[in-house]
Amino acid sequence: MSFKEEVIKKCLIGIIITVCLIYSVPALAGVPLDTVKGHSDKVLDVLRDPALKGETAKKIKKDKLRTISEKMFDFSELSRRTLTNNWKKFSPDQQKEFISLYTSILEDAYADKILAYSDEKILFTKEVPLSERTVEVQSTVIQRSTEIPIFYRVILKDGEWRVYDVVIEGVSLISNYRTQFKDILANKPPEAVLETLRKKVGKG
Amino acid sequence: MKLIPHFILALVLVFLPVLLSAEEPPPASEDYSAETSVSESADEYESEPEAESPQIADPLIPVNKAMFTVNDKLYFWVLKPVAQGYAHVPEDFRIVFGNIYDNLWAPSRMLNNLLQLRLKGAGNELLRFVLNSVVGIGGCGDVARDAFNIKKQEADFGQTLGHYGIEHGMYLVLPVFGPSSLRDGVGLVGDQLMYPLTYVGSSHLTTTQKVEIATHEKVNDTSFRVGDYESFKKSAIDPYIAMRDAFVQHRKKKVDESKQ
Repeated sequence: MSFKEEVIKKCLIGIIITVCLIYSVPALAGVPLDTVKGHSDKVLDVLRDPALKGETAKKIKKDKLRTISEKMFDFSELSRRTLTNNWKKFSPDQQKEFISLYTSILEDAYADKILAYSDEKILFTKEVPLSERTVEVQSTVIQRSTEIPIFYRVILKDGEWRVYDVVIEGVSLISNYRTQFKDILANKPPEAVLETLRKKVGKG
Repeated sequence: MKLIPHFILALVLVFLPVLLSAEEPPPASEDYSAETSVSESADEYESEPEAESPQIADPLIPVNKAMFTVNDKLYFWVLKPVAQGYAHVPEDFRIVFGNIYDNLWAPSRMLNNLLQLRLKGAGNELLRFVLNSVVGIGGCGDVARDAFNIKKQEADFGQTLGHYGIEHGMYLVLPVFGPSSLRDGVGLVGDQLMYPLTYVGSSHLTTTQKVEIATHEKVNDTSFRVGDYESFKKSAIDPYIAMRDAFVQHRKKKVDESKQ
């Protein structure tokens, strides 16, 4: 191998390594959208699975949806951003319980709604950066008679983009809950919030 | 040679949205630099401060809460069972009815788009009204959307008032209509004044018939949404506050959109 070939080879390897490094940076545009779309596709796969038809398969479907939602959402970030300043009023144990109760309320409330979907088309349109580590992934659910804009706000943690807020027709999920919790916390301790949540979860 | 002017008119109609869309300013470049100046240490994950929900005054809260309960009962005892029974009408027919009602609201959307200086939206609504009324036979089909990809541009008078800086005033829960405000209540009246059936004389349509038409519109619309209110209630910690907050957030987005 001539000296010239050696230099070219080294240069090429250098370029390849550089390219690999650049493209492995998770902030690469498109990754947040692809991540959310990936989860959403998996949800649609579950809903359309011909092996899971009828009432009996409903529980299996719900379990599958729960597995996906745990990967898709960052429930601890979502909880913290819901309570904002009030978060610090909760002890670590209370925070833990809050996350778990809040998660099951959200999952219960939306599982049935999502299970009712099947023939909807979901279009992922664009990404809008919100801050250094947060991005809004915009999508539209197209039904026969209407179109509903649904925006997912995602945050980058440990190289993964996970959802911490969902904005439907301009209504932010976490802001909506924040207003409700604030109303309770205005004159009651964190325990009152947990008690309300426990009752709600208990009722199923 | 009477055909030629018609042909030109058709051409203009078809290309109008294209011409109008060309005037639209390019979408704002996605600005990465806006919030990136504050660098956070990657391992702390301290939350950024969250934007507060927009607020609304609610001095009539006892009355509003009572009306909220009335509407809740009205839904579960009357509207929902009626809509569920009505849902036996095949979906295709219900969509046609929905299209007809929607087309009747096109003049109101057009005027409000115009008042908000959204010329493309106004032009699209005008075109949609003409195409859907003529080719879509009285609005039965959404030809404008399906054949020409001219999409509906929502606009209402409450939004128009908001566009010109008028605030909500106070929160109001209206019978049947649900969450509203002083401003948006006036908006509802304004929209009614832009609604063609308002001007149909009583020799053609009696007031009772107009109420029946409005009722059918409501039931037809609800037949597509049974379950939405239930899952909203299931998810809410305090349905009254959740509804009020969702209303304010949703309307703020509408007004913000009208200024773009």
